[in-house]
Amino acid sequence: MEITTSFREGGTVLSVNGRIDTTAAPELEQAIIHEIDKGTRKILLDFSSVPYISSGGLRVLLATAKKLKNPGDKFGLCSLSPEVLKIMKLAGFTSIFSIYQNEGEALASW
Amino acid sequence: MRERRLPAGDDPLPSLSWQPVAGAPQASIYPLIRKIDIISSNSYLIATPDVILVIDPGGLSEQGALLSRVITDCREEDDRPVFVFLTHSHVDHFLGVQAHPSFASPETVVFAVHEEGARALENGDRTITQADLLGQPFSPITIGLHLFTGERADMPGIPGSLCFSNGATITIMSDQAPQGLPHERIQFGTGPALDLYHTPGHSPDSICLAIGNLLFCGDLLFAANPGLAGVTGWSQEALIHSLSSLEHLIATRGITLVCPGHGRIITAKDAIRMFSQVRTEALTLSDIAELNRERAAATAEFAEDCMEQVNELFTIMAGRLAYVTYILDELGEAGMAEEASALISGDTIDELLEAFRDFSREYQQKSSSPVPLMLKAAQVMGKLERTFQQKELAGIIDPTMVRRAARLLADYITMLRGFTLPCEQADYDLVPVIEAIITGLSVPPLSDEEILSGPDDEGDFPRILLSRIGTRPLLEEMECGIVAKTPSVRALIDPGHFTDLVTYILEDLVGTGAGRIAVRTEQGASAAKVTITGDLPGSPQERRTWQFLRGLAERAGGTLVIRENEGLQSFEFTARVP
Repeated sequence: MEITTSFREGGTVLSVNGRIDTTAAPELEQAIIHEIDKGTRKILLDFSSVPYISSGGLRVLLATAKKLKNPGDKFGLCSLSPEVLKIMKLAGFTSIFSIYQNEGEALASW
Repeated sequence: MRERRLPAGDDPLPSLSWQPVAGAPQASIYPLIRKIDIISSNSYLIATPDVILVIDPGGLSEQGALLSRVITDCREEDDRPVFVFLTHSHVDHFLGVQAHPSFASPETVVFAVHEEGARALENGDRTITQADLLGQPFSPITIGLHLFTGERADMPGIPGSLCFSNGATITIMSDQAPQGLPHERIQFGTGPALDLYHTPGHSPDSICLAIGNLLFCGDLLFAANPGLAGVTGWSQEALIHSLSSLEHLIATRGITLVCPGHGRIITAKDAIRMFSQVRTEALTLSDIAELNRERAAATAEFAEDCMEQVNELFTIMAGRLAYVTYILDELGEAGMAEEASALISGDTIDELLEAFRDFSREYQQKSSSPVPLMLKAAQVMGKLERTFQQKELAGIIDPTMVRRAARLLADYITMLRGFTLPCEQADYDLVPVIEAIITGLSVPPLSDEEILSGPDDEGDFPRILLSRIGTRPLLEEMECGIVAKTPSVRALIDPGHFTDLVTYILEDLVGTGAGRIAVRTEQGASAAKVTITGDLPGSPQERRTWQFLRGLAERAGGTLVIRENEGLQSFEFTARVP
């Protein structure tokens, strides 16, 4: 899995490329924590190149939602594959954080 | 090959070292014990002043090379003829010798196999030897000594003398052992005798060998295992008879150790207990299908379909539980959150699913046999079944999801064991069946009224709270209507699998982003049709899930066609009318 970080006016976008499995989930968590530790309070995860997420990956997303829940904080996901979208929806995660069609839609609403 | 509750403790006969054979003065044994797999068996060398015996040289070339070196050392010390006995003619018990010229020289080595196995080996029979099933190439082998021949059986109790190309002269006598097994005794010179017992069941040519206080039992300990029971030549009736006779033989012949074809050497007491367990399992295996290459390939295909769904269902269930834990934490209910999170181990599930995925990827690239994948899926599913507490989990998250996960695991094990998957087709009106499914997926299991009027005691409140948080009805926020062209639509279906099929389809449409779903039913003269349509952005690609759904539709009693047209995705299920 590879993560590319880009800084936008609306927040920081972490573009993830690859499966978020047991090995990759802690790497994703570290990348997010690194951004939060730097003071970033608006994080968007671009999942356009993520074909699979494990339950460990889901727990990382919940942990991030916990960290970014103060007024003004933003946390969301965009460009999900049908497989990952299905997992998110059926696990009930869409009520915790926002899921957007694409990056533009996410940043426009922030 | 699954390890069958082998008892713990030190190995009674350590591997790769010579040691005396109890009860057989002048005989020594060199066991080669391997970790259990389907590629190669254990091997045993026995040396007496008159002969060197190899029991099952195994399926690997390197194993054959090691045995060849040890035999060469023995013959350099004291040159003797060599006999290779096979407990049965499956490739994992002999293929390793084919790469070594030393085993191909009839001046040195004579192969001894039960008559039926001998014929299969001499004819290059790929079915009886399981070469087809395991995807192994093998060349015909000349068998110098056919065991349990009809001619000798016709002259019980009369010893005969046979001379061989390796210089050996043996005395062999055939009779019936008191334990009810056909028996042959071979005398090599003046040393200890070798007793052979015909013990069919795992294969028609299975034999057990005894020397001194040791018994070599081939694959009988595993003969009822899923993935082995039903292999071509397997016989339930013969197996049960062989096992009960062997229990009696071990108890009455002074056997102290039993040397299996795979896994560790065990004591006679443990062997009797384990043979009894195998017999009990074998009794449940009436009418299982033959496990040939075709069925193994179909089972491996089903394994991959099931694992795809298992992967999704378990990830969703673990995610849902993580969600419940998150909300409970937010509510300050840390104790309840901890209890809930213990119901399913997300880490274990992830590891198991990834182990299967890695195995499957390697299998696609390398394996020429469907058997390893078939058995790996069973191992992973068995472990998954033990990781989640179904009853407790169904009280928190969507019970239909838990039920479907349990049914998937059970269906796979049923198919693996050789049974036909349950499909109890009957005449049903599909309209109320579908209405009930949609209603069940639209309302929470506990209504607001039930929650408010529920008991106040501390025991029930957490249960209600957990269920309320954990269960999110699939169609709660979805427009999903049924359009029935006729008030009643009758068809022959299996209601359990049909309910699962409709649920999986609705779940797939909701999960992949359908905004609206319509269910239409039609009654034809010979067929009834149910079409479930969802509006989906983009063009959906063929997914493994669809293959699984088509298989599920067959188990539900019909066929499924999946179409995509102008942003609409349709699943058309057709079943026969009564």
